[in-house]
Amino acid sequence: MPAEQTIVYDPHGMQQTLGVLFASGGEGEIYPLQGRPEVLVKWYHRQDLAKRGQQLQDKVQAMILLKDQFKHNRNLSWPLLSVFDENKKWVGYAMYKSEGIPMFKLAHAMLYARHFPGLDRQQIVSYLVNLIRQIMDLHKRGVMIGDYNLNNILCTPGIDSITLIDCDSYQLRWQDTHYPCPVGSADMTPKEQQNQNFSSLVRTAESEAFSLAIILFKCLMLGRHPYDIVGGDDPVTNLNRGCFAYGLGNRGIPRGHWYNIWSHMPHRIKSLFIQTFTEGANDPSKRVSPAEWLDALTLYQKEITKGWHEAAIKPDQPKNSEYRGCRDIESA
Amino acid sequence: MANYELIAGHDLIENPSPRCACMLVLDTSASMADGLFGLFSEKGSSPIDQLNQGVQSFIAELQADEVAACSVELGVITAGGSVTEQLPFTTAMSIDYCDQFNASGGTPLGEAVEKALQRLEERKAEYKKAGVAYFQPWLVVISDGGPTDSWRSVASRTCSLSEQRKLVVLPVGVEGAQMDILSEFSSRPALKLDGLKFREFFQWLSASMSRVSSSGSTTAAVNLPPMDGWSSI
Repeated sequence: MPAEQTIVYDPHGMQQTLGVLFASGGEGEIYPLQGRPEVLVKWYHRQDLAKRGQQLQDKVQAMILLKDQFKHNRNLSWPLLSVFDENKKWVGYAMYKSEGIPMFKLAHAMLYARHFPGLDRQQIVSYLVNLIRQIMDLHKRGVMIGDYNLNNILCTPGIDSITLIDCDSYQLRWQDTHYPCPVGSADMTPKEQQNQNFSSLVRTAESEAFSLAIILFKCLMLGRHPYDIVGGDDPVTNLNRGCFAYGLGNRGIPRGHWYNIWSHMPHRIKSLFIQTFTEGANDPSKRVSPAEWLDALTLYQKEITKGWHEAAIKPDQPKNSEYRGCRDIESA
Repeated sequence: MANYELIAGHDLIENPSPRCACMLVLDTSASMADGLFGLFSEKGSSPIDQLNQGVQSFIAELQADEVAACSVELGVITAGGSVTEQLPFTTAMSIDYCDQFNASGGTPLGEAVEKALQRLEERKAEYKKAGVAYFQPWLVVISDGGPTDSWRSVASRTCSLSEQRKLVVLPVGVEGAQMDILSEFSSRPALKLDGLKFREFFQWLSASMSRVSSSGSTTAAVNLPPMDGWSSI
C-alpha cells in the first residue's frame, strides 16, 4: 500500500503527490492529492489488483468514458481519471471529495440526534426526495446502484443535499459490455436475487425499486428494517416470506416508537410500503417505482410544511382517527 | 447493576440496532495471579492484572466507536474457584462499570461455558421478542490452563454451534494453556497468545466487533482484521 508522499501519475504521465490517508475500506485506500484536497485518489488493495486488476480497470475506464454525463454533478463521486503508480501500473482512480454524514446515522434510533440536531420529518423526506432524484438520473443513463448501502449515501446536516459515494460498484452497460455490481447485502436484496453471487446478478428496475423502498422505510422509521418482526425470524427470512408487520392487522410490530411513527405517515405512503413489501416481495411488477415514490414523497413534504402531518421524529401518540394535522389541532 | 433488567428490557425497545452479542468466559483461577511458574511478582504485571486492563480497554474502545457502542452487547463470566457472572449482557454504550477480577481457586471452565450458552440462548430469545435483528454471537474463552471440571459435553455443543456458523467460538490460550483441550471448544483451533498480549488481543477483538456492527447485513460474512498483530498462530 502507498505511504504518504507517494507519487502517482495521470494517463499523460503527469505526477502528483498523495497526502495523508483519508479512509480505508474493504476494496482500497483513499488519499487526497497534496495541495488539492478536493481531489481524492482511490488506490485498490494490492490483492484486489492482483486478482482482478484488469476487470477493475476496464470498468473504471468505462465509467471515465461516461464521465461527461456526470462530472458536473458534484453530488456523485464518479471516477474521473485513471491513476498509475511509479511503474506506470494502473492502481485506481481520482474523484472529487464528498462531504456529509452517512445516511446510516440518519436512519439510526440512537445516533440521528447527535449528528442531525433539530431534525424533523420534513427534513428526512427532503433528503429522500433528493436521493430519489439522483437515482432516477442514474437509471435514465442505464446505471443501477445495485449495492444499496446507507453508508454510501452522505447527507449534509442542515440542508437537504445528499451525495452518493463508492460509485465504482455501480452496474453499468457500455458499448454492449455489462459491468456488474459485484457487491451487496442480503437484507437489501429482493427475493428473486437472494442466494446468488452478486457479481453474476443483473440488477433490474424492479430489484432497484425493492432496495430503494427498504432505504426509504429505514430512514422514515429510524433504522428499523421493514422485515423486523416480533417473534419472527431474521430479516432476510421474513423478506423471503414477504412477512411485513405493518398494514393490515399490524401484527408483529415491535414495541417502541414504531407504531406511532407508522400511524402518522400519510395513507398513500403506507399503501406504497405495504404494496412493495407484501405483494411486491414475490411479484417484482408490484413494486413501487422511483417516479411514484418521488410524487408521493414530494406531496408528503409539502403537506408536512403545511402542518397536515406530524413533523416530530418520535410522535408521543399514535394518530387518532380525528387527526387532521397539527394545523387543525392548533386552530381548534 | 441492580436496575439491569429494567435497563436491558428498555434498551431493546429504544435502540433497535442489530446486536452483536459477545460473551467473554475468563479463567480467573489461582494460576492467573502469578503465572505458571510464579514469574510475575511485580505489581501490575501478573496475568490477572493484564487481563483486567485488557477487558477495561476493550470496553473503552467499544464505547469510542459510536456504531459499535449501540450494537455490541458484552457479557463477562469468570471461572476462578466458582463461576461468577460479572457482567450480564449489556449494550456497550450502557456499560458504566465492570468489576476488576481477582484470581483464586480452580478453573470450572465447563460450567462457565455452560452458563455462557444458556445466557446467549436467553438473550437471543429477547432479541426475537423485541424484533431486533442480531449478528452471529461470539464466545471468547481465555485460559492459562484447562478446565478442572467436566467439559467434554459442553465443548462438543460449542464446537457444533461453531461448525453450523451459529456461534463464533474463539478459544484463546495464554502461556501454559492446554491448547488441545481449548481447541475442542471450537471448529477452529485455539489461538495461542504470545507472552501476555491481552491488550493487543482485545484491540483486535474490538476492531472485529466494529467491522461486524458496521456491516450492512446481519447475515453476510464479514472480513475480520488480520490477527498477525497480536498472536502467533
